[in-house]
Formats: sequence, C-alpha cells, structure tokens
Amino acid sequence: MKKLMTIKKVSAFVLAFLLVSACDDKLTEMNINPNGVDLANANPNLLLPSVLAPVAQNYLDLGFGDMAGTMQHTQKNGWYGGHNHYDWGVRDWSNWYGILRTNKALEQRAIETESDFFRGIALTMKSFIFGNIADLWGDAPYTDALRGNEGGMQFEYPKFDPQETIYLGIIEDLKTAASLLASAEEGGVSASADLYFKGDPKGWQRFANSLLLRYYMRISEKRADVAKPGIEAVYNAGMYIKTPDQDATLDYTGGASDVWPSQYTSVDAFTRWQACQTLVDQLLSTNDPRISVWFDPVAVQWVADAGLATAEEDFIRADGDPLGVVSYTYLQFQEMRDTKFTRHFNPNDVSRNDDLYVGLPPGLTLPESYNGNPDPGQGTRNQHVSQLAPIYATAGSAGDILKARLISAAEISFILAEAALKGYSVGSAETHYNDAIRNSLTTWGKAADYATFITEPGVAFEGTVEQVITQKWVASWTAATEAWMDFRRTGYPALQAGPAAAQPVLPVRFPYGNDELNNNTENVNAAAGRLETTSYSGSVGANSQWSKPWIIQGTGKPW
Amino acid sequence: MLSLVLSLLLVGNSWATPLVQDVRVTGRVTSAEDGQGIPGVNVVVKGTQSGTITDADGRYSLSAASDAVLIFSSIGFESQEVTVGGRSVIDVSMRASLSQLDEVVVTALGIEREEKSLGYAVGKVDGEAMRQVSQENILSSLAGRVAGVTINQTSGPGSSISVVIRGATSLTTDNQPLFVVDGVPMSNTLNNISERGDGNQIDYGNAISDISPDDIESINILKGPSAAALYGTRAGNGVVIITTKSGSRKKALGVSFSTSNVFEKATRLLDFHYKYANGNREGVFNEGSAYWGGPQLDVGNKAVQWNSPLDEQGNPIPTELKSYPNAMKDFMQTGVTSTNNIAVSGGGDNGDFRVSYSNMLHQGMIPGSDLFRNNLNTSVNFKLLNKLTLSTNVNLGRTHSNNRPSTGDRRANPLEAVYASSYVDYNQMKQIWVPGQEHIQQIRTEANDNPWFIAKGIRNGFVRDRIFGNVSLTYDFNDNFSVMVRHSLDQINETRETKIPFSYSRMLRGGYYLTDIASQETNSDVLATYKKRVGDFDLSVSAGGNIMHAQFSSSSVGTGGNRNNGLVIPGVYNVRNIPLDNISVSSTLNEKAIYSLYALASIGFKDQVYLDVTGRNDWSSTLPSSARSYFYPSASLSWLANYTFDLPQSVSLLKLRAGWAQVGNDTEPYSLYPSLATGNYNTINTVSVPASLLNPNLLPEQATSIEGGIDINLFNDRVRFGGTYYTVDNENQIFSVLLPQSSGYNSKLINAGLIRSRGWEFTLGGTPYQQNGWTWTVDLNWSTNKTTVEKLGGDLEFITFYEENGGGALTFVGEEIGNLYSRGYAYVRDKNSPYYQWPILSSAGEWIELDGRENMRHVGNFNPDFIMGMQTGVSFKRLRLNASFDWRKGGEFMSFTYRYGESDWKSQRQLDNLIPGGLYSADELAALLKSNPSAYIIPKAGNYPRVGGHTAETGGLPVDGDGHDGAFVPGVIQVAGQDTPDNFSDDVYEEHLGGPGTNVYPITNTFPWGFNEQVTFDASFIKLRELSLAYQIPDIGVFRNATFALYTRNIMLWTKADIGIDPERAFWANNGTQGNTKSQFRQGIERQNVMPWSVSYGFKLSFNL
Repeated sequence: MKKLMTIKKVSAFVLAFLLVSACDDKLTEMNINPNGVDLANANPNLLLPSVLAPVAQNYLDLGFGDMAGTMQHTQKNGWYGGHNHYDWGVRDWSNWYGILRTNKALEQRAIETESDFFRGIALTMKSFIFGNIADLWGDAPYTDALRGNEGGMQFEYPKFDPQETIYLGIIEDLKTAASLLASAEEGGVSASADLYFKGDPKGWQRFANSLLLRYYMRISEKRADVAKPGIEAVYNAGMYIKTPDQDATLDYTGGASDVWPSQYTSVDAFTRWQACQTLVDQLLSTNDPRISVWFDPVAVQWVADAGLATAEEDFIRADGDPLGVVSYTYLQFQEMRDTKFTRHFNPNDVSRNDDLYVGLPPGLTLPESYNGNPDPGQGTRNQHVSQLAPIYATAGSAGDILKARLISAAEISFILAEAALKGYSVGSAETHYNDAIRNSLTTWGKAADYATFITEPGVAFEGTVEQVITQKWVASWTAATEAWMDFRRTGYPALQAGPAAAQPVLPVRFPYGNDELNNNTENVNAAAGRLETTSYSGSVGANSQWSKPWIIQGTGKPW
Repeated sequence: MLSLVLSLLLVGNSWATPLVQDVRVTGRVTSAEDGQGIPGVNVVVKGTQSGTITDADGRYSLSAASDAVLIFSSIGFESQEVTVGGRSVIDVSMRASLSQLDEVVVTALGIEREEKSLGYAVGKVDGEAMRQVSQENILSSLAGRVAGVTINQTSGPGSSISVVIRGATSLTTDNQPLFVVDGVPMSNTLNNISERGDGNQIDYGNAISDISPDDIESINILKGPSAAALYGTRAGNGVVIITTKSGSRKKALGVSFSTSNVFEKATRLLDFHYKYANGNREGVFNEGSAYWGGPQLDVGNKAVQWNSPLDEQGNPIPTELKSYPNAMKDFMQTGVTSTNNIAVSGGGDNGDFRVSYSNMLHQGMIPGSDLFRNNLNTSVNFKLLNKLTLSTNVNLGRTHSNNRPSTGDRRANPLEAVYASSYVDYNQMKQIWVPGQEHIQQIRTEANDNPWFIAKGIRNGFVRDRIFGNVSLTYDFNDNFSVMVRHSLDQINETRETKIPFSYSRMLRGGYYLTDIASQETNSDVLATYKKRVGDFDLSVSAGGNIMHAQFSSSSVGTGGNRNNGLVIPGVYNVRNIPLDNISVSSTLNEKAIYSLYALASIGFKDQVYLDVTGRNDWSSTLPSSARSYFYPSASLSWLANYTFDLPQSVSLLKLRAGWAQVGNDTEPYSLYPSLATGNYNTINTVSVPASLLNPNLLPEQATSIEGGIDINLFNDRVRFGGTYYTVDNENQIFSVLLPQSSGYNSKLINAGLIRSRGWEFTLGGTPYQQNGWTWTVDLNWSTNKTTVEKLGGDLEFITFYEENGGGALTFVGEEIGNLYSRGYAYVRDKNSPYYQWPILSSAGEWIELDGRENMRHVGNFNPDFIMGMQTGVSFKRLRLNASFDWRKGGEFMSFTYRYGESDWKSQRQLDNLIPGGLYSADELAALLKSNPSAYIIPKAGNYPRVGGHTAETGGLPVDGDGHDGAFVPGVIQVAGQDTPDNFSDDVYEEHLGGPGTNVYPITNTFPWGFNEQVTFDASFIKLRELSLAYQIPDIGVFRNATFALYTRNIMLWTKADIGIDPERAFWANNGTQGNTKSQFRQGIERQNVMPWSVSYGFKLSFNL
C-alpha cells in the first residue's frame, strides 16, 4: 500500500517537473498582453493626441462651464448651484494628473528618441497642466508627483509643494521648452497628431513663450523680481503669439472624439445655459459687436404698455398679432427666427427687462422664474432671457468658431498692455491694448467693426489696469478661467456675488478633492493648513473655496 | 431540432414494441412495524419511468411487463425491489429505513460519495424540487433552499442572478461560485453589462441561465474550500455541481413530456403621490419640469398639455390636469413564460442514452421585452469493450432576445420614463410615432421620452449560442483500478445588437451598435482511481492532471461620441448607416491557461470513520514564472459516532465532522506588466498610459478554511438536524488599492491583506406528521456570516467597493465588508451646547456638506444579519402542497430611485415627513421643533427634517410673495466671522427655526441631495417565493406518471422599508468596474431598478409515455 503511494508520488513529481519545464515558457508567452502597445516601442506621435485633446477639452469645460458662471459670462436656470452660487463641493483633479501621466511617457519617449521637438512639447504641456492645478487649487504635489510607479510611500502618497514652487518650476520648464523648440527641426511630429500647431515648432515656441508671459504676470504681485525681467525678456525676443491665427486652439469638428460640450447633452441641457446680465450690461454699454456672436436675442421681447389692464399678457404676439399661447418651445422659436415675438406688460404693475438682449442677474435665488418666465422649469428655456447663440448648440465643424482656446493673441496683448501700465519696458500700453481689442474682434469674426468699436466710450484706451482687465475679461469668452485668475489677482472686474450665493463674495480656489482627502490625507491636510482661512471659509474649514492660497495671501485682493 | 427528436422517438418506439407484455398488478403496501397501509409510496417499474403511488390505504394498481421488477420507495422507508414473476397481486411490507442517510452525493471531479462519509457540509437540491415551480433561470429556484447560499436576482427576468456562498470573501471579484455541469466548468460572471448608446445600459444576464432546468437531475453545492479544494483556483467561492439527467441501461424506452406556463402581473408600485402635476412651483404647470411640484391634480386645474386639442386658429386649448396613478400598471403587460420539454431515453446492455429538447418562451411585463431559450441535450454512455466505457454529454443551446429592457439605470429605462410625469395618460402614447414621421419623431411630452418608445423603439437584442459538453473514456483494469480521460469544451458565441431610433432625447439621430463576443474554455483531464477494501479499512486513491485553456475575445462597432450624429438614414440599422466621422470600434483578446496535478485519498475505517486527504498543484499563466506554481492541500474527517457508542435506538445518526483546506488562486491575465492602452482621437490612432499600476511580483492568493459540524438524525429520518461552523481566511489577496491621483496612478495592484469570514449554518428538517394518509414535511435552514477586513497592505486603512455621492461602500480595517457610508454634514459637536447634534447650516440656510472620509457617516451594511429559508409540504393521497419561504433579516440599502424621486418631489413618504410649519405661528413652531430635536431637527437615516409644505393648507410657507410652497431646513447658523473651524469653544449659533430671517425655498429646492443617509433603508424582507399544489393523475392509457400542478411565485413580499422597492434587487448595474473591485454591480444601492412587484400564476403538466 505504502509502496503504491510512493510510486504515485514519484511519478507525479516527475510528470510535474516535465510539465513545468516544457510549459513555463509557453505560459509566460501567453500572458503577454496582445491588446496594448509596449511603451518602449511607442511612437510619440501616438501619445501626443492623448495629451493635447483632453487638455484642451478640460480647459474649455472650465472656461465655458463653471468658470463662465463664476465670472458672470453665463448663468444657468437649472442645476445652477455650482454655476451661479459657487456652491462647490470638493473637486478632484484626476483628469489633470491623468493627462500628466501620459505626458510624462511622452517626455520619456522624447528623450529616448532624442527629439527636442517632442521634449519641448511635453515640457510645455506639463507646464500648462501644472499651471492649472496650481492656479485652481493652490499647493499641490509637484516634485514627488507622477512617480507612483517607482513605489514607496514618498511617491505613492506624494507631499504637496508650495504653490510658489510650482509656479517657479513651470517658468523654468517653459524656458527650457522654448529654447528646445527654438532649435527644433521641423518633422518628426506628425501634422495630424499635433492637434494645435500641425507639426510647426515655431507655433509651439510661441505657445511656450506666451505661457511664460501668462505666468510671469500671474506672480507679478508676489514675485515682481522674477516677473518684470521675465516679461521684458520674452517681449524683447519677440517670439510669442501676436495674431489670432497663432492661438493655441483645438478645433471642435463634430467628430466622434470632439463635440462641443453644450451640444453633447440634450436640448434641455442647452437651454439651461443663459447669458449673465453682468456681461450683457458690459456688451450693451459699449455697443460691443461680439454680443450677437455669443448670445441670441430673447425669443420674446417684453413691450411696456402702460394701458394694459393686467400686469402682463398671458399670451405672446407674433409680429404684433396675439397668439393663443404664452410660449413656444425653444426649437419652435428657432424654427421661426424671422418672426418677431413680443409680449406686453404694464410697467406700473410689474418690472420687466424689455431689452433685446437680457441676461440672468448673477446668483438669483430662483433664476428659473426671472423676467416673467411662464415656464419656470428645472432647466428649461426662458423665452425672456437670452440663450447662447445657436452655434453653441451644434457639435462643431472644423474651421468654425467653436474652438477650445488655451491661450490667445488677445490675452497676450492684454498682458503686455498691463505690463506696460506697470512700468515694465514692453512698449506702449495703448498699442498693446488696441492690438488686444483687434485680436479679439478678429477671433470672433468682427474685425470689420474694430475701427468703430475702439472709439466707443469705455472702450477707447483710458490707461487704467481696470479697463485692460475688464476688456480682457470680455475677451476671455469660453476661456473664463484666466479671467478668474485676473480677478483674483487684481479684483477686476469688480464682480459682486448674487443674493443666493453661498457666501457674499466670489470664491478664490477649488477645494481639494475626495481623491486626495481619502487617499492622501496627511499631505492634503498639511497643504490645507497653509491656506489662509477667511471669515468666509465657514464650517467647511481651511479646505474651502474661500480660503486664500499663497498667490493672493497678503495682497488684499480680490476682497 | 424538433425533427431530430421526433425521428429518435420513432426509432425508439420500434425498438420498444416487442418488449411489452403487460400484466395488471395490484396490491397493498404496509408498514412492517404496525401493519398499517402506507400512502404515497412510489411504485415504479424498474428501468422505466412508468409507475404509480399508493392510495390512502396503501393500495396500488399498475400494469407492468410480466418479468418486470417493481421498485417500492417512500420517504423514511427502505426501498424494495420485487420481481413480478407473472403474479397479479403483490403485497409488500416496508421497513423504516435510513435511506436518507445513505444518500449519495456528487463531489469534486464528479466522484460520487455517500454523504455520511463526507467531512464537510454539502448543500443538495433535487432537480424535481426545483422544477415544481417553473423559473426563467435555474438559479432562481435555489433561493432560500440551501443554508449559507444567498441568491439575488439583480433585476427582472433575464437579468443576472448573483449567487454568493458563505458571504463575499474576495475583494476583487464578483464572488460567484464555479459552476460545473457534468464535469465541465462553465464560465459565468455577473459582468455582462454594457452601455449601448447614452443612458442605455443593458444587463444581458449571466450565461449560466443557458442551462435548461428540465435537464437537471440534481444540484450539489460545495460551500467552502474544504469541499472544493480539488477544483482549485476558481473554487474559492464554492462550487455548484450540476448533474444532468441521463438514460437508463435497462432495455426500455421512455418518453417524458412537460409543459409549464406562468402568467405574471404587476402589483405593487413605488409610493409616488400623484397629487401634483409636473412643475417647480405651486400652481405653475411645466411639462419640462422633473418635479411633481406643480398645480394640484384632479381639482379642475387646466393647462395646455402635450395632447391639448387645437382651436380654429391652431392654438392649443387648455385641458384639465388629471392624475394617472395607475400609469405603471397600465403600461405593464402580462408577462408570460412557457417552458416545454420532451425527452427520450433508453438503453441496452451496452449503454444508454438520453436526448432532450427544451424550449422556453418569455414575454416580459415590460412591453416589447422577451427572452427565448432552446436547448438540445444529448447524453450517451456506451460500453465499447468489456472494460472500456465511453460517455459523452453534449449540449447545444441558443438563448436570444429581440429586446432586453434597460432597467439598471436611467434615460433608456422605460420604468423611469413611466414615472416621469404624474399627469400623463400614457395609454394615449401607444402609437409611438407622430403620423407621417415614422422612425423619425416619437410622440412625447416636451421634456420626457414616451415610455412606449423607450420600451419598444429602442431595441437591445442578443443571440447567444452555447455548446458545452465532454467526451470521456473510462477503462476499468479490474474491480480496483480504473483510468478515465476526458476532454470538455464550453464555448459561447454571442452577438449583441442595439438599435436606437431617431428622436431619443439623448441621441436625436439614433444610433446603432454591434458586438461580437466569443469565449471558449477547454479542459483535458486524466484521472486514475484505485479502490480496495483491506480488513476494516476501505481505501480509495486517485491521482490526475488537468490542462485548462480559456480564451475570450470581443469586438464592437457602433455610433461614436457625437450623440447627435448617430445614423444617416432613419430606421436603417446597419454599420454602414453610421456616419463615417462618428464610428467607434474596439476589440480585445484575453487568454489564460492553468496546468494542474492533483491527488486524493480516502480511507474509511469500519464504516464509521472516514478520512479524506487531497492535494493539488497549479501552474497558472497569469502569475510570474517564479510564483507560477502553487500547492494546496486539504483534509477532512467524518465520524459516525452512533456506530461507535451505544446510543438510544431513536438516534439514527450522530455524525461529527471536521475539515481543513486551502485553496490557491491566481489572477486575471495581463496583470504583471504595463502596456499602453490603445484608442482613437477621431480617426487618429492613439495610445495612453493606463491609470492602474500592475505588479510583476504577484504571488498566488491563499484561502484557508476550517469547518466543523454535527449531523443528527432521529427516529429514522423523522427529524434531521445539521449544524456547521466555518472560518475562511483569505490571505495575500490580489487587489488594487486606490492611490491619490497626484501619484500619477489611481490604483496599484498589491498582494496583501487578510479577509476573515466566520459563519454558522443550521438546517432542521423532518416529517412532523405522517398519519392517515397525511404527510407534512418541513425543512428549515438558517445561516449567518460576517466577513471582516483584518489587514490590508502597508498603511492602507480602508478599501473602496464603490464611491457615490461623497459616500458609498467602504470597509475600514477591522470592519465588516459591506459597510455603507454617507457624506458628512456640519453639526454642533459640543456636548454642552444646547444645540448638540443640530445641523449647522450655511448662511443660505442649507446643510453644509463635509467631505473626506473622517466626516463620512456610517449608515449601514448591505449584508443581512442572517438569512433563513423554509420549504414545507403537505401531501394527502395524490395531492401535494409545497411552499418555499425566504427571510432575510437586517442589512441596509440605499435607494437612488428615491434620491431622484424625492429630489423631484414625487414620493409620498417625503410629503408625510414634512413638518407643516405654515400651520403654526413662528413661536409655536420654534417651540414644537425644540420639543423634540431628534425627531424634528437632527437628520437621521431616511429623513432629513424639513419644515413646510406644498400649499398653504398643507403647511407651506410663503416664498417670495409668490405662492405658499415654501420650506426651510431647521438647524442653527454659525455667525460669520466669529469662529474658526478648528476651535469650537466660542461658537455663536443662531437658531434657524422659522423666525425672522429664516431662509425659505420652494419645497422642490430643499432636498438633501448630497447625503445618501436620506435614502438609506432597512433591507429586511420575507418572501413566499413559491407555492404549488400538485395532483398526481392516475394512469390513463399510455399516459403515465402524469402530474398537474398549479402554482404561484412571490405571492407575498413583506419589506421593512415599505417603499415599493425590492431590497433583494439593491444592485446597480454599471458599465465599468467599481472602486477596487472588478465587479460591474454595485451592491447595496439601486437606481431606477424598479420593476413593479409582481405575482405569478402558473400551471404545469407532465407525463410519461
């Protein structure tokens, strides 16, 4: 009996040995993933769109989304807590760090393939993304970030670097990038993969230098010692974005991967999006030609009629003739754009905004009911308030005005105008200011109106930072994040929070997200501790959107 | 397929004819103990399926061949075989027996063992018991029948069914057991969900449902590693061994037929109020509003509606606003399920065969939904040579559906669409299309899709072909030694096709999606067995090897990211009709192999003590070469103490058992080295770095289980009791832990942790009453399980199953798996404050959300405290009444149906919970609220207090001088600038209880959206799952063994939460995997999974020829 067991054991062992030695290689080979690409062989052109597309899309989502609400370009009449009231919860930054992960692989492949061009691109994008992280949240993992694959607590749970360190790091990287790109040869970067500049190294060099200008100006209150010489050096070298065709943009083509964000959802979602009265006032007061590019006139204009027996008619009129209904749907109004719809009200009984362009005042308690809306729904239309222009309800097609704009000639010109006003040696403030206005009008297809517009009272150059920043704020349409940064730094334009805002002033940062709060608790709490809590920080504590990050600590700005 | 069956039938008849030489046999069966007649004894002609049962007096009558052998059997008596031998009267005296105790069960590798010799508990379900009440999915029949086994149907018929044995023990899998059908491991997973078009998530159902219940002989459930060690790697969650029917070797041919038809009707709906029309504000009607907070219904209010008639000028005429509280019942149709089976079996000296054809047709309660299944099952055993036997079992199955409803999420979920409006008569929308715009424009209200369009217009079809089976050769060298070789295959080919028409609100120009999936697993086995009895020892030794190879591939093409550019031509569903600039394609291929060697030995001593020892070594392709090989042993002991000691006669069995086992486990393919993910940006190919860090140094996982138990049988099986205690320690689990994104990665795969399960299982059964022709049997099972996370890797403090709304399902080290959390809110923490625990509100009078895990509030656990099942039957003569109950006590679930429903102000519960502040003066109100802060101010699970109402009459408060639909949140407001959050010593709080300065909002704006706690409910329930009444019809001519049964399913469902949602279905199907897990289902949370409760009535007829 025992003998039999022994024989079995031995034979099993022999069999096992044979099996293993013969099959080990086969099993190893079977476990090579056929679905992916080995990083060691990856062409950087394959990695490039994975960085460029989502960066532009995320930046647009901010600038057209909640930042446009914060900076009072737009308001929403449904799901408006974040957009209108700064009712922000915590915000994760996983999208930004996720892109940085692939960007790091791009940089690694650029070094391995000895491509200065790709390396310059990777450094520029790294700076752009870290710039956003530092701008929006404040202190953030930087030196130890993106190294989780190296293992260990230090890299798996990276510490937060001071905001200042990140800004200075960005500036160094951008200088390196600009010099790499200056000497980079054309070629290698495929025109189809380079979604911004179609493989033109000069375009990238201008982009890197323009970002330098942006970040020098960003730190100009806190580190004028760095900002002034920096801006002057870039200006003197002259290789920055000067005309709108040099802007860093991503086209929205309506293709499977890039669809304009407001089109991406339903008609209902689009009609939630409306003009903000703050911007409408600005545009109307200066006869700004861009208003018709961005906004639709109200579908139904109020007409004051003091003889009216009731406060307001319970029907609308088509070209003056009464209809049996008080409203149509958004799509019905769009189909009948040639018809002039009106509705009468008695100004002695009720107050209505009877302009052709009407915005929602910021931070209303019940924005859906504003201006006598007969259909106060949860994010439905309001025929008495201006929607965005119909093009913003389309998917986009190559070449139209729907673009994600990372940085523009207009912005750079405004930066130089402001720098000149600060006394930096960058030429004439007025010239830069006028260039900025012209660049913006050109961008929005209104170049022909420049000569008239530049003479409008309030537009004609006055030589104040407030005017420069106010016009810069107007020009930042669909890219309002930068306007928020300017507001935070300068307090211009002097926006007031609406009555239902969660706090009576505008917020100044994003609260750190659950991702870090839950998974990197110690480090995020240390960073939150370096924020300056204000009387608006409230029960949420340091990690509030009303706590001040380094960049505005001690500046007394924006409030 | 049918013609094949028929031809076999004809051939079979020609074989059978000469054998029939029937004589009429009558007689009486009596008890050996008291000479009384025994009713209900089965009398069967051996080798055939013909037979009868005795009447109340113990008498029987049947016809049989003159040389036939009759088998007499009955519960609690020893079976007897009697040769007819030409006699026409045969009386039989039966002795009480231990027949149950000698029952044979199928264990690992198909080895049959006497149950009493096993050192572990096996759950057994007889195929017949499961078939009494027809179910669409065989797994549904298991619910409540086996201790320690939790069955959850995740949604309506055709959806995935989760089977969890002894609690979830793995952090990273769906915890489903391994299914083995006639020795063939069957792939089965819960992860069959995909999103095809925006908001259209479909659960295609788990593939184990492809098996026809009619072909199942028995199901044995090996619950833990002890029982399952020999199946290796995949057996960590237990094994469900399914044995299908086969023919008999006796020279006879039998045909059996059965038909079962069930009708299902919707009964209980959500508790929505249907009091107010859609609209945000009192009195303001708005079709586009999701809120049911508009004008009152049924009181003569008029408004222009979607179906308003037009006057002469073409202007719509306002019509009365009415409620349609029966909208869902009207929408639902009667569900019909018809299951039919015909089987032919027979055999000769050298072999036997069985061929069976089953067909199931199911028309769902949701209009347009259906499910069809066709199975052809063939089993053949043939003696090729004297010592060489060939067995083969081949199953061909096709399961298909023209339309699977999307019920797991929103948007394309017809159930959500029906609950969208309170004032719409959906009967008027049955015609889906606007006349003249067929396939282009649906009839709908301004804001919401027509539920008929969602149900019937959007079509999610699939066809799944499955072939599984095996061929085995067994050579018996002699009585002691045999060798078996076997090759088995399980192959699935599935095509899924989704058609979305123009005008779907999320995809105005429709969409089209096509996916092909193929999966294949082969197993090649060799097994040698040696058996010998030496003196008092009974010895059996086996050794064998296995090569498993599995491959999975899928490819997909469909409409791309531009949701409003889905198709070119309306109504044409073809890949070519997708615009070229908006096509999305993908494909994937996975492969894995495991080589194994194993051995087992069983030693019995004097038929009282049995020792089993097993060992298995696996080599897996998914682990690094250095850790590829892993060995795991098991041992178990069974001791029949009643044979050792002199116990009273009444103790028929006293068995003690104990087992110890380990199971090793590998991981998924491609878990070692990173590889760039491929993708597209429009037409450009791209790659990106995946966010999950892999691990080249993975080691195999190891589960160690110990179980001990006792089985007692008294009075010859009149009373049975079983008890088991088990522990399972899962160590070295391969799971991903979350990293902060700033590390560049969102997770890393690690080998760590200790997950510990502890549980008790009890069964109690017997025959409390058996007299005068009456028999009453009862079987009870009760089990409880706790699984805790004892250790995680490194400094990890918790693991995330899923995150949702600032909370979710997380388990911290030391806590139980399944804990549910809600986001925190600011509240007064100072115990000395008069406002202790009151919520601190923002200056706008709203709850302040506090994020981060230290602020999260523990609100429950999705696992029940215990589960209990009961099956009971009463039989009298030819009638038998059976019932099956399932009781789950404790546990919680979060209802996101209620989160949306209450946010949209639809639920009656929420209206009932409002404190009607407008009926009081400010002082009275403040006094009332302060009189009982824990009821009126402090939030608790299921209710965050709010004060107000929808109208002045119902206690609403004035808002904006514009209606009385106001409400406010009671609490305190921290005075700005007085405090820092870190220091609560000098807090200044102002009461926010309705006095001047109170922030009043329309009630529709006051929902605590940020807190899962508001919608957390007790998950306890009791279900009467099955109730059947069967009558055995006396033989009529060639119709023999006929049974007619009436039955109902789910006739009773009591839930503690009482909100119209079935807690069993607290599953949320997702397109992607969740948290740290690889499961697509979130457990303990549901969203719009609100198939109404239903009652089914059915009948079943079966007979033999």
